[in-house]
Amino acid sequence: MGSPRSQAEETIKRFLSRANKDADVTAETSLFADGVGLDSLEIAELSSMLEDDLGDDPFSVGIMATTVGDILDYYSAEEQPSA
Amino acid sequence: MIELLRTAAAERGEQPAVVSPRGATTFAELLTRAEAVAANLVARGVGRLAILDDDPAQVMALLAGSALAGAEACVYPLAASDEAVAEYRERFDHDHLVTTRSGLVDAGATATADLLVDHGEPVPATAPDDASLMCMTTGTTGAPKAARHLWSRVLLTTRRIRPVDDQMWLLAYGLNQFGGLQILIHVVAAQTTLAAAETFQPRDGLAAMRRWGVTHASGTPTFWRFLLIEMDSDGGDVPPLRQITMGGEAVPPALLQRVADRFPTARVSQIYGANEFGQNVSVRDGVAGLPVSMLQEGGDVVFKVVDGELWVRSRASMLGYYGQPPIDADAWRATGDLVEIVDDRIEFRGRASEVINVGGVKVHPLPVEDRIGQIPGVALVRVFGRPNAMVGAIVAVEVVPESGHDTEEIDAAIRAACADLPPASRPRSIRFVETMGTTGNKLTRGGTS
Repeated sequence: MGSPRSQAEETIKRFLSRANKDADVTAETSLFADGVGLDSLEIAELSSMLEDDLGDDPFSVGIMATTVGDILDYYSAEEQPSA
Repeated sequence: MIELLRTAAAERGEQPAVVSPRGATTFAELLTRAEAVAANLVARGVGRLAILDDDPAQVMALLAGSALAGAEACVYPLAASDEAVAEYRERFDHDHLVTTRSGLVDAGATATADLLVDHGEPVPATAPDDASLMCMTTGTTGAPKAARHLWSRVLLTTRRIRPVDDQMWLLAYGLNQFGGLQILIHVVAAQTTLAAAETFQPRDGLAAMRRWGVTHASGTPTFWRFLLIEMDSDGGDVPPLRQITMGGEAVPPALLQRVADRFPTARVSQIYGANEFGQNVSVRDGVAGLPVSMLQEGGDVVFKVVDGELWVRSRASMLGYYGQPPIDADAWRATGDLVEIVDDRIEFRGRASEVINVGGVKVHPLPVEDRIGQIPGVALVRVFGRPNAMVGAIVAVEVVPESGHDTEEIDAAIRAACADLPPASRPRSIRFVETMGTTGNKLTRGGTS
């Protein structure tokens, strides 16, 4: 099993593919109109998929991720050992 | 109730009133026990009592005896833990509990056996006109309440019931449920026999149908869904039922058809009723929903639609919930069932408490559930609101797949089947599970869970 960040990347691509969106994304790709063009319900669906696959997700804790990288960074931060 | 039992005992005393894994109880035996219960309750000055007993024949005797004594009985659900029983007793002010549960007897409750025995006390001649009982709600949307009923109103339906021969009714509801009480009353009034399974689970119900040659069975749609799965799974004989009745939850058209197909010898009908309005109406045309003719005045139960919700006025209405102000029997009451009139039919859209608020858009789960229920490979489906930080809630689906079906294919079929729904109504979370939780053989949905 990969790191949470790589799992999250896999979940995002699986979601985009199923939603008939371009799954060829980078960390800089916007989730909204200037990128893959998700609407609020699609963001909600992605949020629930991330929660199912990884146990939590950035949107549920109040982080308004606007790019693919914002989501991946959330899981990277989780990997950092606490001080 | 006691009059019905006395008539049945006089006309068919040696006929079994109840058959169960514990044995058979005749109408004559039932009457003897009920009269002993009444005599003992009066002698002990018991005016209200709770009943927790796993033997349906004993519960029947306790209920009939309580009615004769003028004592208000309330049957507790068998699934209740000792802690839940203590909570119910406190909430409903039940000083007296009659039970077969030894731990509770040790703690001061009355053993059922003690009440069923003739201690030589005088038997009351007739039941008081204002004899009442309490029937708990299933509590699918919160803590159970207890509806207080007059026996005289609950028994109004028996005016239309005549004694019949050669019928065996399955008890697929707990006797704590209004549906179970209705079956019990019907069996005594029709002087027929009640078959009680080991439990109220569909698997045991199916076994009881085969063991005792059940001819008539009434259960919730959830009960029938699970029963079909059990039948498909064990590959055993299809019970030769003559009458199948569904009620207690909205009945999806697809399920009506599925049940009719699997039980070709049975007439399939729906009942619509509720603990609160004290009676059921029966629909026998095999079409889901109620005919709009039921909106016309007349009869013991009348309906109207107010802002998409079904309202009812019933001559058999409850007196009110225990601990709350009494209600006017002539008053209209909201049922909590959301409906839509389509052509000549009142179609059910779900419970008001089950509406999912998706970003301010109200989504009814039943139409979505009905679409998904027709997809090959879907054995059971539950649609509910899943909390979501972005839009409040999303439409979520849980599916029990039939064995041998690929879940990815079912997932894709669900999305395809719902693709033309408004965006807020489309399932955004699909999960496959091994089984589903029920309360009183009703599917647990809730607005969000």
